[in-house]
Amino acid sequence: MCGIVGSIGRGEGTVDVLMDGLRSLEYRGYDSAGIALGPETTVLRKSGELDALSEVVDATEPTGTYGIGHTRWSTHGPPTDRNAHPHTDESGRVAVVHNGIIENYAALKAELEETGVTFTSDTDTEVVPHLIAQRLDAGVDPETAFHDTVDRLEGSYAIAAIVEGRETIYAARQGSPLVVGVGDGTTYLASDVPAFVDHTRDVVFLEDGQRVVATPDGYTVLDSDRQLVDMAVETVSYTAEATGKSGYDHYMLKEIHEQPTALRQCFSGRADALDGTITLEEVDEIPQPDAVQFVACGTSYHAALYGAAILREMGIPAEAYLASEYALSPPPVSLGTLVVGITQSGETADTLAALRDAKSRGVSTLALTNTVNSTAARECDHAVYIRAGPEIGVAATKTFSSQLVGCNLLAEELVDGPRDLRPLIESLRDLPDDVQSILDSSRAGELVEEYADSDAYFFIGRGTNVAVALEGALKCKEISYEHAEGFPAGELKHGPLALVTPETPVFAVVTGDDERARKTLGNIKEVQARGAPVIAVTDGVSDAAEIADETLMIPETSERAAPVLANVQLQLFSYHLADALGRPIDKPRNLAKSVTVE
Amino acid sequence: MSDVSTTSGNQLSSAVVLAAGEGVRLRPLTANRPKPMLPAGTRPILEHVLNALIDTGVDDIHLVVGYQANRVRSHFGPTYREIPITYHTQTNQLGSGHALLQARDGPEGSFLLVNGDQIVDHRIVEAVGEAHADAATLAVVEGPEAADYGAVSVDGDDVTELVEQPASGEFRLFNAGVYAFSQRIFEVLETLSVERGELPLTDAIQRLIAADEHSVGGVRTDHFWIDATHPWDLLSLSRELLSRGWVDAPAIDGDIYVDDTAHVHPEATLVGPVVVDSDAVIEAGAVVGPYAAIGASATVGSGSVLQDVVVDTDTTIGPNTTAIELVAGQGCELGAGLTVAGGPADVVLDDQVHGDVDLGGVLADRVGLGGGVSLEPGALVGPDATVGEGVIVRGRIDAGSEVVR
Repeated sequence: MCGIVGSIGRGEGTVDVLMDGLRSLEYRGYDSAGIALGPETTVLRKSGELDALSEVVDATEPTGTYGIGHTRWSTHGPPTDRNAHPHTDESGRVAVVHNGIIENYAALKAELEETGVTFTSDTDTEVVPHLIAQRLDAGVDPETAFHDTVDRLEGSYAIAAIVEGRETIYAARQGSPLVVGVGDGTTYLASDVPAFVDHTRDVVFLEDGQRVVATPDGYTVLDSDRQLVDMAVETVSYTAEATGKSGYDHYMLKEIHEQPTALRQCFSGRADALDGTITLEEVDEIPQPDAVQFVACGTSYHAALYGAAILREMGIPAEAYLASEYALSPPPVSLGTLVVGITQSGETADTLAALRDAKSRGVSTLALTNTVNSTAARECDHAVYIRAGPEIGVAATKTFSSQLVGCNLLAEELVDGPRDLRPLIESLRDLPDDVQSILDSSRAGELVEEYADSDAYFFIGRGTNVAVALEGALKCKEISYEHAEGFPAGELKHGPLALVTPETPVFAVVTGDDERARKTLGNIKEVQARGAPVIAVTDGVSDAAEIADETLMIPETSERAAPVLANVQLQLFSYHLADALGRPIDKPRNLAKSVTVE
Repeated sequence: MSDVSTTSGNQLSSAVVLAAGEGVRLRPLTANRPKPMLPAGTRPILEHVLNALIDTGVDDIHLVVGYQANRVRSHFGPTYREIPITYHTQTNQLGSGHALLQARDGPEGSFLLVNGDQIVDHRIVEAVGEAHADAATLAVVEGPEAADYGAVSVDGDDVTELVEQPASGEFRLFNAGVYAFSQRIFEVLETLSVERGELPLTDAIQRLIAADEHSVGGVRTDHFWIDATHPWDLLSLSRELLSRGWVDAPAIDGDIYVDDTAHVHPEATLVGPVVVDSDAVIEAGAVVGPYAAIGASATVGSGSVLQDVVVDTDTTIGPNTTAIELVAGQGCELGAGLTVAGGPADVVLDDQVHGDVDLGGVLADRVGLGGGVSLEPGALVGPDATVGEGVIVRGRIDAGSEVVR
């Protein structure tokens, strides 16, 4: 359940505003989509990508002077027409769009069914229009009916509703993002700013518990006690065009090629190569933590594994936790513990829940994120930005690279004591050009011809390269739909080796020539003995290139920087594999860019 | 013969920029990027081109890209200075007319056309846009270079003849490569075919003149205009830009320009005109300038003396280097004690000897030099080549080669 939009005050152009808004939120989900238009509560909805809805809109030419819209990523009920939003009450007076999960929907549904209401969808959302209708039937005005309904909901949600005969949009935010765009005579609502940035850059970022009542004359923000709140209007700087593909076939490829620029931005002004110091201006002096717990999901979790590994090397106890597990079985914390949430969007529901859990237990929290003003950035005690720029491709690429650099900057900021950071700074400064040299010369695309119809793909590494192996496998499965697994190289013989055959290429990430590298060479021979072809991703310092069947070279650099480079080669392999297989690379099935449900 | 969408006297808001060509005469610097992405001062030539367009009020830019197109796309992305960029791909480089045809679905109505590898004062662009009335308008410059750029004959405000590669001395006026066109140019281009591997824009303009002698206007201008033909021209290009202060970093003292994020050691000396771009580092005791352009994230080692140099992004110059008239590409790692004594030199490019060139040496991208290397005047080192300690480099070293002695 993913993106919502709303527009009021725009008159006849409303349908276009809603459809364009949904188009720019498609990264949040694309199982189905729909719109509802007032004053007649005309509802159009369709399963499939937004183009399916566009066809319906083009064919029926609906009219309306205000409305709401939704692009959906299924959590409750399969992606069918009848589960598509907006949902209505039985009489069709009320239409509702919703992003999030209503946790007490089963109880509410049972209660409504007892009073004779018939449900037409499998969604949790449908309780909302029925509850509003029930209050309307009880004789209250639409705004009161909306408030009364929202008061009864538990869980996380961003909701927008329209009621027949009343030229108003009602909306509420609790745990899922919702922003108000303040235009000239028009008020916009959306899950994210790009939905209306073509029309206005003046934005109100709502807080949890707040509600909005928008009419053609303007909008008011109310708290959960229905009292007026005065909210600051902020002007956002980014343009709608910043989300264009720049002529690349896919956002993912564009973002892979943007990595030198992204890394330069991440690092710029934060290190002094002359005196060997690193400074993060956006955080006040943070005392050195006794322990660090990282919480994150997906690709960000792999960055967290890397971050924890480098902190441990610096003598700080540090662990990475999957955010979805963290709040359910919270590890012990002490007053000196710092919990770091890594989330590209700053809206990942699982990560937010873990951070909130940590906060409720009284420890400091820090968000490492790409999104200024995101929920994570606002709720944590500290926020560090990775400055990667907008990322649209569902498969994270440049933000992972920037997260790894961000972990280095953060670790050096957190750990006290004098030390010469010049060698580290030099290698991080070299990263943009080192990545560029890979982009200029990578052979990853050629390997696809040879290995495109393999049974499965395995990725191994040791130390910080474990994170690279896991990320390589995740990227591969996300966009190519091929079976891919990543393992710490030493774990192979404890089970996964049974899967290795001549039809399963193994990507071995081997950098430097320390004990980890030497032991990984042993693992390479282990899988070669089972007939598997081995592709070494290596800087050429060890003998990996000589032993392996194929090689993807990276420039020689520091131990800290090498994982960034190795990962770029694996990104390119996965991209070219998915491209060769004809996959919809920017919109892999069943996935959404930022997962705002738990 | 006027186009309905053309309005005379108004500044045009759309522009097409041709940035698809490699620029073979600038090899080995173009191994990884097209000529428009080579450094002019510390920024790509194309950045200066787009600046000129935006300074005249252009708010719709169409970039035709081809050779190493990803370098252009990833540098500028979907917008530059908040102006949207639309990319058009020319898969095979078949001349300027063919390049423009790739942008046929781009601008609506009349538009400007400029070369992405040529820096022009924005007033030239402005003049062409303002004078544009009919099918085509082009900027005309007076000078001895007609033989290199294509000669022009004018009668009043009309261009009456275009001559590619005229016999030298015959003409004094030449085509500055800044145009305004109505949509008719596309109609004419579509009637022409690629011959001998090329479809030059000038062929289409000749057709316009042949069809109606008043359809092509010429605007005389004497504003600044410069491009680079050979690798050493990047040095004079940089000198010109530094002299004019056309650099993208704030002036900290007179003609000394240093980005806020750069780090210059208190015991280093900058001698203007000089520019130090973002996150660059100048170590203690270095003397940099005059006429030095130090690119983003580049490093100048302690005690080095640099004069008349272009050092591109991410290149590290080791301590105690002396370099005069040096062009260094991106990501070079140069060991301590490099000596580049400067020109004049006789440089051989494509079997052609260029005599008395002021050039210390050219290093392409990601060249690695060991300590104590010397470049003889005019040396050219190809991309990814490595040169061992103490080697004296003469003439040309090929891409990727390893020279140990």
